[in-house]
Amino acid sequence: MSDTRNDGDGPDRHVCERCGDAYPSARLLTLHRGARHPDDLTADEVEAYREAYYAEERELKSFRIRALGVLVLMYFGFLILFILFAS
Amino acid sequence: MNRTTTLRRFGVSLLFASLVSLLAAPVAASNGAVGLAGASQDNLAVPQWLYLATGGATVGASALLASFVTDRRFIERVHSWRTSVALDDVVRRGLGIVGSVLGLALLGFIVYLGFTGPQAPTLNFAIIVTFAGLRAGYTMFTYLVGDTWRAVNPWRTVATLLPNGFVEYPHKLGRWPAVAGILALVWVETAAGVTRQPNLLAMAVAGYSVLTLLGALLVGPDDWFDCADPVSVFLRFYGRVAPIRWNDEDGLSVRLPGMRLVTDDEVTDLADIAVAVVLVWELTFSGFVTTEQGAAAITAVVEAGLPALVVYGVLYLGGFAAFLGLYVLASHLTVRRIETFETPRALAVRFAPSLLAIAVGYHLAHYFAFSVSLSPMLVGALTAPLSPPANPVVLTLPAWFGALNVVFVLLGHLLAVWVAHSQAYDTFPSRMQAIRSQLPFVVVMIFYTIVSLWLVSLPTASPPFL
Repeated sequence: MSDTRNDGDGPDRHVCERCGDAYPSARLLTLHRGARHPDDLTADEVEAYREAYYAEERELKSFRIRALGVLVLMYFGFLILFILFAS
Repeated sequence: MNRTTTLRRFGVSLLFASLVSLLAAPVAASNGAVGLAGASQDNLAVPQWLYLATGGATVGASALLASFVTDRRFIERVHSWRTSVALDDVVRRGLGIVGSVLGLALLGFIVYLGFTGPQAPTLNFAIIVTFAGLRAGYTMFTYLVGDTWRAVNPWRTVATLLPNGFVEYPHKLGRWPAVAGILALVWVETAAGVTRQPNLLAMAVAGYSVLTLLGALLVGPDDWFDCADPVSVFLRFYGRVAPIRWNDEDGLSVRLPGMRLVTDDEVTDLADIAVAVVLVWELTFSGFVTTEQGAAAITAVVEAGLPALVVYGVLYLGGFAAFLGLYVLASHLTVRRIETFETPRALAVRFAPSLLAIAVGYHLAHYFAFSVSLSPMLVGALTAPLSPPANPVVLTLPAWFGALNVVFVLLGHLLAVWVAHSQAYDTFPSRMQAIRSQLPFVVVMIFYTIVSLWLVSLPTASPPFL
């Protein structure tokens, strides 16, 4: 299939030299190179990857807390619903 | 004292509620083969809306739980685990020949006994083997164990022995002919009475054989059975979920169930997505029209003045379009939600294999109990095709079998959630993107779950006006 990627051009196009995948931001390209081509990275790139990775780790942590909140709400919500309506 | 009894009552009722919600689900899920179904009914002990909401919430909660797994290496280990067993060439060729002979013999018996056997669905070899065998049992074998249809397929056996391949298959059609074919076959199954009248079934199988052979000889068996033949494409797509696959290089290759869906890029265009959706939809449709509520709804519309066939047709094709549309819509929403150069089409293709896991869950829910209870009949028919028993044996299933339907629907969705989760990690460089990309698809999956759980909770009936 030819139209798998929407090749946006201009300054917002960050292309991986190794596999040609394009990403809309430098951060995503850094994450891509770190996850897919870890052996290609220079020392600076490793540092950048690490930084992006930990920045995302913080974002993930806050997501996990919110997800846990939703799970707890769902659990007790259904508990109460079952107590009230199941017979 | 009052407080403790209240508390205890709360505790007991809670325990009881969770038990009944698990165990008191419906007994006989509806399926297309109403000619063989004995309708039976059991009422839910929880209100229906709560039962449906719980099912939907289970899928949502499992998606949230899956999103806690963010370790790429672990996800990759799960879906790339594999082992293989070498198979001797002689053994493989021997099994191939046995399969071909078996396939040809079965096809011959189905057509011959459909015309000449006793004209009662529960006694006739053709009906029993086609619906309890091929439609239920063999399809289950295909996704639970491995796809053997290539070796068994009697039409392929015949077509490869004859001169073939006079015209090039128009590859731009993709698998659309198969989509149309599967829709047509399910239509024939629901509307033409082939599950009740053996001679009709035999006629349909004979007609199908002629069409299939003509097609396979015209464009060559490989292209025909790969793209155009509904039965082969149907089984092939189900077979992708299976743990075992025949492989030319390493004999039998074994993977974790459903994990080929993540790694093998076998879905490539919109037609392939349509095949996956059609597998989910056909079970939903035949599940709907064969329930009392579905039958009542259709009767109501027909009595308002619309012709029955138009009502069925609009419901059938409209529902398919809605299922497909919702899925494609989810991929559009995903692209809008995250920074990516992936097109909606590409994402839809990427996540389509997870629909097959859902289809497997539905198929099990609609056909597992049916197939277990008819297994003595099927064994009887296969061991003595020419002497139908005077009293066909049917197993009576314990009540908890009904709960399995619910479990199967949910398990299918859970597998689908995991497959989509793994796909997302393969696709997106950012883990947050992988999580966000899932949300629209999870909403669609929750919708599919609720519809399907509702269907398996309804009592079976014969579709009206057909």
